[in-house]
Amino acid sequence: MKKVSMSKTISYIFLVFMTLIWVVPLLFGVFTSFKSETEIKGVGFQLLPVNWTLNQYIDVLENTTNAPIIRWFINSMLISVTHTILVVVIVSLAAYGYTRLQFKGRNLLFWTLLCASMFPSVVNIIPTYKIVDTFGWVNTMWSCVVPGLGGVAHIFLVRQFMLGIPKEYDESAKMDGASDFYIYSRIILPLIKPILIVVALFTFTGSWNDFLWPTIVFNDVEAMPITAGLELLKGIYGDYLFMGQLMASASLALIPTFVMFLFAQKYFIESLSLSSGIKG
Amino acid sequence: MEGIAEKHEPDKTTGLAPSKKKKSLSHLVYIGPHLILFLIFGILPLIYGIYVSFTRWDLVGQPEWVGLANYKEVLFNQSSTFHSQFFNGVKNTLIFVVISVPLLIIIPLIIALALNTKVKAASLFQSIFYIPGLFSISAVALIWLLVFNKRLGPINNILGSDANWFTSQPHAWLLILVVSVWWGIGGNLVIYRAALSSISKDMFEAADIDGAGSIKKFFYITIPSIKFPILYTLVMTTLASFNIYGQPVMLTNGGPTESTTVAMMYIRNLAFGSGQSVAGVASAMAMLLGIIMVIVSIFQFVVLSKDDTK
Repeated sequence: MKKVSMSKTISYIFLVFMTLIWVVPLLFGVFTSFKSETEIKGVGFQLLPVNWTLNQYIDVLENTTNAPIIRWFINSMLISVTHTILVVVIVSLAAYGYTRLQFKGRNLLFWTLLCASMFPSVVNIIPTYKIVDTFGWVNTMWSCVVPGLGGVAHIFLVRQFMLGIPKEYDESAKMDGASDFYIYSRIILPLIKPILIVVALFTFTGSWNDFLWPTIVFNDVEAMPITAGLELLKGIYGDYLFMGQLMASASLALIPTFVMFLFAQKYFIESLSLSSGIKG
Repeated sequence: MEGIAEKHEPDKTTGLAPSKKKKSLSHLVYIGPHLILFLIFGILPLIYGIYVSFTRWDLVGQPEWVGLANYKEVLFNQSSTFHSQFFNGVKNTLIFVVISVPLLIIIPLIIALALNTKVKAASLFQSIFYIPGLFSISAVALIWLLVFNKRLGPINNILGSDANWFTSQPHAWLLILVVSVWWGIGGNLVIYRAALSSISKDMFEAADIDGAGSIKKFFYITIPSIKFPILYTLVMTTLASFNIYGQPVMLTNGGPTESTTVAMMYIRNLAFGSGQSVAGVASAMAMLLGIIMVIVSIFQFVVLSKDDTK
């Protein structure tokens, strides 16, 4: 018994220590956004602001010329929400097709897609730019919304989930003369809702946080999403003369995914064990 | 499935008589949208990317076929800047991969083991380690720029150091690694924790009866039981680490003296940088990097899945 509590004590000490490393920098950054510039430049380490102020946020929001942060935030929102909705629709349709409909070479086609999608995407970046440019999408949200819709990983995930749903459900409906679309929309969709929520959460997070691609397809300051905007900010507010404004901007970018996590923690955590196939 | 024998009874999988589903193209309504997008944004770029790596191309005009010239230049022409950039980029990427991957596996594994000792609030701890990964690298890097700032940041205040973390080595690498581990352990942690909790208690009890110590139990029960998740995370983490880009761009800008400029940065800058685009050469570099990644993954998979099976 003694030994068990020993290992537990060590665990606690270790976990609390690690938690501090994980939490303090983040809190320090966020709290700094509520400090005045003179307080930030004051000597010594002070986690909490002495005088809380929203001035950094006001300054950031008022700068609409070279760093339109609200605009970037809205751009990111539009991109991520549109992309997520389209992914959920396309993925659920395709997964339904690959599990429930009978056609020649169905599984062969699916596994071919999966294998073909395995090659590292680094090769795709330059040609995808050319394709997006040909469609006239450079500096528009479509450059970030559309290319990712061809992904296969999410279809794999939803397909795995769908394979676990007994065929009897849709078979009996089919006997009664239900159409494929009826079965898809009225029977399958409600059943696969949990995995579609997982797909939506991950798609939104990935889209919101995408960094390399937006910096390639956007040079119009007004049109870019917030991740690319923050890179610009680093240059504009360089030399750390405006650390408070940098922190305010960064903090704003943290909000959407953090709020999403608070409400949908369970889905984030469960999904990973689902996708790696070690459930149970 | 289309056999004659089935003609008399309804197809088991659809519940329909086989004759009814003949030559229907209705499945295209479901898989079609994705298939088209996959062809345009999955297959076409791959083929086009391979093609342009054999051309001289500036992203705007027509690619001009040059055969293996780009590859020869990048791999063998010692006097070419492309050659030195590629090798420097791959070297720096490999430095990052070799150091970050073990950390991104061992640290979350230790945390998962600690969480597995039935501590209170385990899921709260887990969330705390998971949350940074939900944020974009450009946002968290700005925060870390402050934390490591020479004058304003707590790190130098606490350590009593006046190191400039962004412009000297090994500080710059250390900074990139700290941020990468802080940012990247969440997914692996969740996977390990799920895997550990699914190990049967019976094995540990049997080992207790045999008088096995905790270290023995760890290496003979725990590790073999979570072998698959570890292999999975090893391959995925390695691939992710090869794609490193945001951390050096945001934290060190590739410096000091290009010692943290990774392959992705060179590829991006050669194709989309401020100067004349050399997208053909950049594509050749991307191909080579892609091939390295494929070889490494296959190697990891083959070596590690064979090793312990005995």
